[in-house]
Amino acid sequence: MKTSKEFDNILNECLERLLVKGETIEQCLQSYPEQAAELKPLLQTALVVKKASAIQPRAEFKAKARYQFRSALQEVASRRSRPFFGWLPRWATVVTIVLILLLAGGGTVAAAGNSMPDNPLYPVKLATEQVRLVLTPSQLGKARLCARLADRRVAEIIYMANKGDAHQVELITQRLDKRLVMLAVLALALKADGAPKVLAPAPAEEAGGDRGTYAQPNNRAKLRMAVAYYAANHPAALRAVLEKAPESVKLALLRAIAVSETGYKRALEALD
Amino acid sequence: MQDEQSLVRRAQQHDQEAFAQLYEEHFDKIYRYVALRIGNETEAEDMTQQVFLNALQSISSFRWKGIPFSAWLFRIAHNQAVDYLRRKKHTAVPLDESLASNDNTPQLVAEHKLDIEQLLLAAKQLTEAQREVISLRFTSELSIAQVAKVMGKSQGAVKALQHSAIVALRRALSVTENENK
Repeated sequence: MKTSKEFDNILNECLERLLVKGETIEQCLQSYPEQAAELKPLLQTALVVKKASAIQPRAEFKAKARYQFRSALQEVASRRSRPFFGWLPRWATVVTIVLILLLAGGGTVAAAGNSMPDNPLYPVKLATEQVRLVLTPSQLGKARLCARLADRRVAEIIYMANKGDAHQVELITQRLDKRLVMLAVLALALKADGAPKVLAPAPAEEAGGDRGTYAQPNNRAKLRMAVAYYAANHPAALRAVLEKAPESVKLALLRAIAVSETGYKRALEALD
Repeated sequence: MQDEQSLVRRAQQHDQEAFAQLYEEHFDKIYRYVALRIGNETEAEDMTQQVFLNALQSISSFRWKGIPFSAWLFRIAHNQAVDYLRRKKHTAVPLDESLASNDNTPQLVAEHKLDIEQLLLAAKQLTEAQREVISLRFTSELSIAQVAKVMGKSQGAVKALQHSAIVALRRALSVTENENK
């Protein structure tokens, strides 16, 4: 009679042979005829469990997840490539962009702020957003900005969907996805680092709008509330458009809904 | 192992391709583990993504101390699954219909789904530790040594848990089969 420990070892060896090396139950039992009666039902159960658990992720999900993970990788890499003393060239780029925008006229930048993707000033709007992201010093500030930019993207998707432009809806959805991935990554970084005690002020978002001090202890909670608000409203707003939208944009809209639902859910989990 | 060690070191030095390779190698196993632990495809998809985002965020904290990278990843997945189950207050969550194997034959898919449902039902009869061993051993194909690292137990303890888990599953599956007759 084998001890329990010896039997555990025999069972494990048979499982390795059965599940990894592809041997049959009979081959295992021949090696241990004394334990065959006890081993057989356990090995049969193991085979059933193995078969039942051979599930695979959906190909569509894998492709989407891969894209989002690549975006997150790039986001993390771009954040890390900005050490304190290594940022001058980037600053120079930013200053150049700002100067160009100023030369183009402050009114141009202001006008671009409300432009939609079919407007010639829309690239100025995107460039200005990028500059704001680079200039925002804190992770919390960047996260808040990402949430607001996601809000803008959703407004743009709705606008272009109503115009029946599926291609633009797809393009903006990609930008929305990128912002939501960035938001989740920043939220995770905030969680890992702990909330900063004192943070520098963020640049003004809109004229006369939010100029947070970021020194208040409840700013992370406020960010979560804002993200929760968007999480509840953005997919709902997109679904409302879906009902009335032309057939040609419905597929693109469905993808936008999926991106917003997944993105906000992930961001909220990261903020919990 | 040496290759993985080199990949992880490169990933820690912010080599995107190295991290992407680690992601590809471990994604399916992490998904299977999470899906079986929580029994919900949609949640499992989101949670799998979250595991890798968390890993990306904290890979610099990973240290080679005889613990394989996969064990570290499964530990992250384990913690998230525990959080999820705690939030759900251990309420049984029905498995989504879309959980399917690679086999596209309708009849086989249907049979496979039945197996998964039976397995989930039976798994409820197991202790948390037994369920953990089954998930890691049978869905994620980890060796006993790797499971021991993930669970922070000795190999002997894991073998004993594996034995008791299969016995409990056998008993529970028999009950399930009888109830379905």
